[in-house]
Amino acid sequence: MKAINRRKLVSAGAMLAVAAMTAVAVPAQAFSPKSETGVTSKEIKLGMTLPMTGSASPGYNKVPAAMKAYFDYVNANGGVNGRKVTLVVKDDQYVPTQAVAKTNELILKDRVFALLAPLGTANNKAVAASVNPAKRGVPVLFVNTGFSGFADAKKYPTTYPILPSYVMEAKIMGEYIKDNFAGKTIGLVYQDDDFGTDALAGFKTAGVKFATTVGYASGSQGAATAAGWVTKLKAANCDVVILFGVSSATAAGLGTAAALKYTPQWILGSVGGDATTIKAAGVPAGVLYNAVGASFLPATTDTSDEYVKLFSDIYAKAVPGSAFDNNVLVGMNTAFVAVQALKAAGNNPTRKSLLAAMKSKGSTFASAGLLPLNYSATSQVGYNGYWFGKYSPTGDLKPEGGSYTLYTTDSGTGAVVKSTYKRPAMPAKGLPK
Amino acid sequence: MHKLSNLVRIILFIVLGVVIFILSNIVDEYRVTQGTTIAAYVVGIASIILLTGYSGQVSLGHGALMGVGGYTAALVGDQAGAKLMGETATGVNLPIPLTFVAAILAAAGIGALLGVAAARLSGPYLAGTTLALAVGLPSVANQFKSLGGEQGLFYIVGDPPTALGEGVTQSKWYFWIAALTTLIAIFWLQNVMRSRYGRIWKAVRGSDVAAELAGINVARAKILAFTLSAGLAGLAGALWAMTIGTVSPSAFQLALSFSLLTGAVLSGVTTLGGVMIGAVILVAIPEIVHSVVDRVGASQTVADNLPSLIVSALLILTVIFVPNGPVEQMRSKSMKKKARHH
Repeated sequence: MKAINRRKLVSAGAMLAVAAMTAVAVPAQAFSPKSETGVTSKEIKLGMTLPMTGSASPGYNKVPAAMKAYFDYVNANGGVNGRKVTLVVKDDQYVPTQAVAKTNELILKDRVFALLAPLGTANNKAVAASVNPAKRGVPVLFVNTGFSGFADAKKYPTTYPILPSYVMEAKIMGEYIKDNFAGKTIGLVYQDDDFGTDALAGFKTAGVKFATTVGYASGSQGAATAAGWVTKLKAANCDVVILFGVSSATAAGLGTAAALKYTPQWILGSVGGDATTIKAAGVPAGVLYNAVGASFLPATTDTSDEYVKLFSDIYAKAVPGSAFDNNVLVGMNTAFVAVQALKAAGNNPTRKSLLAAMKSKGSTFASAGLLPLNYSATSQVGYNGYWFGKYSPTGDLKPEGGSYTLYTTDSGTGAVVKSTYKRPAMPAKGLPK
Repeated sequence: MHKLSNLVRIILFIVLGVVIFILSNIVDEYRVTQGTTIAAYVVGIASIILLTGYSGQVSLGHGALMGVGGYTAALVGDQAGAKLMGETATGVNLPIPLTFVAAILAAAGIGALLGVAAARLSGPYLAGTTLALAVGLPSVANQFKSLGGEQGLFYIVGDPPTALGEGVTQSKWYFWIAALTTLIAIFWLQNVMRSRYGRIWKAVRGSDVAAELAGINVARAKILAFTLSAGLAGLAGALWAMTIGTVSPSAFQLALSFSLLTGAVLSGVTTLGGVMIGAVILVAIPEIVHSVVDRVGASQTVADNLPSLIVSALLILTVIFVPNGPVEQMRSKSMKKKARHH
């Protein structure tokens, strides 16, 4: 008798699976054939993945609230062609596997119109390879990574980076080092994946010679590993050290070095250089003082800047008590550009019309950036340069000499030159027409 | 004992396959991708049932063995994915079925080595050894450039053949591959369990001293069980890698080993019959939690952490109230009833 029961039970198990899978199978919005996925007469739904928890999350986990604050501001002022913009946020813990699973959910279950600002080089690469948004025609706007490869239209036809690439940043940093730290012994701490590889390529092009380079595995950053970095950097007698990693790595490096009384001239990569995040991790502002940092947006303390003023006002109302820092500024600026892209996609936006709008109008979008957006029919490159500054005694990044000196370059072998770009005025009330 | 003939069993499996095939064409694409995950879990849980339920050994390291399978499959079949992403490829590009075979063989090889150790260990010592494997092995992958470090390797099974037409999405194609592989694996496993070896393992589980007295080579039986179980875990790993398109240390963490064990306990560890229950629960719980959380408007953090809590609670409740799993429980109840009627 036992064997028969077992057969029955196999099929019973199968039935259970069947029931579970079909129970909530067909969501209602599947039956609105006319409009595009993620677009109704009242709403445009966007989705993003980023680390909200885990070792890489500090700082970046403020981005969704910042974006939502701006979207809510737009929604309260008529929305995008009458539609509200909503943002579905999923935590991927900076783990590529999770990013793939969550992006699958965003596209197939939440049925978002487009992906907005998904974070991480490795994560976006894994998503591109296995979820393949390009093949599904899903736009991936303004990926929150500086990996230069994402501007490659052949490999990532629907992906639009916004940050200047790590190659550009490294090349410009190389120029800065030549001008300011010639003859010094230089060390580098980088993330040992495509994020770091991209930077290494830029430093090579710039001709920067390192006394030592320390790669760390993503997720391994912490006081214990950072002690290892410091030992290596000290042994190589580095006077100038570049920390080119995520914020938590920058904080671990600075904090541990301070504890071990190692005080080289620090240069911080832009994605890991947010002062609030570093200070929140327990690094005293004094340690940050005089470190060199880079940005393509105005300084967050520069309230004479119309964008900074507007965004910080909106943010203060939406998220009271939270510091307005560089992650917030980047997030709100990204949301600001995204709203223009959605508007440009027309009254009945489709994924195709959005991508077409990026090509035809992308370079005309207003933004807080002190460098131009370089989108065109043949280019998916966002911003293309940086200004350098030093952190103040309170730990705020400010331009040297009080005014922004902007450098621009490309992700190839082009020269680093001073930028002559003049940013157009902000649309009235920060609401794109 | 009356047993179904092989012919009837084959027919039943084919019918099950047809039902699954029809379903995959009815439900929406997201459910199909979940189905693929369920299939990978089914094979993984079955490997634990074979090991623990039948041969009485314990393993906390099957997540790592899945990793061995996943990495092997990616290494021998990564050409397409690597090219797509502009990475350096290993130069080996076997067809997909052969990458599965390679995954099975590699994991079984490691399993055989482990099995030799396992034959000398038992209880907590064996649990400790396999636990060390689960913790250590993923970080080994971090140390080798050729294994892609933390970022791992791509494993892209590729698009469905164009001959199948436009309606066949990649998700469906992956699901069919996973479902067919799983059906074959479970059919084979049933065969093994119905064979002489199945009986030998049960004898060993009951009492290895008694088994030895009956002329069974206990050590060999244990090693064989470990090897076969590891091979199945390797296959599960390859399926797992296929569903996520990559293999990386983070995909095969300790939590995966525990998930498999939990799934096996929920399924009823001594019987293959309930193997789907555990797999469906593991996939369904985060899903249900998310929809509830969305409705009541609780935070994302709650939605992300609650599933593991519920699964753990279920595990504890199962062990306390239905130690042999719901399926075995129902069966023994109905048997008792019958016994009373006679």
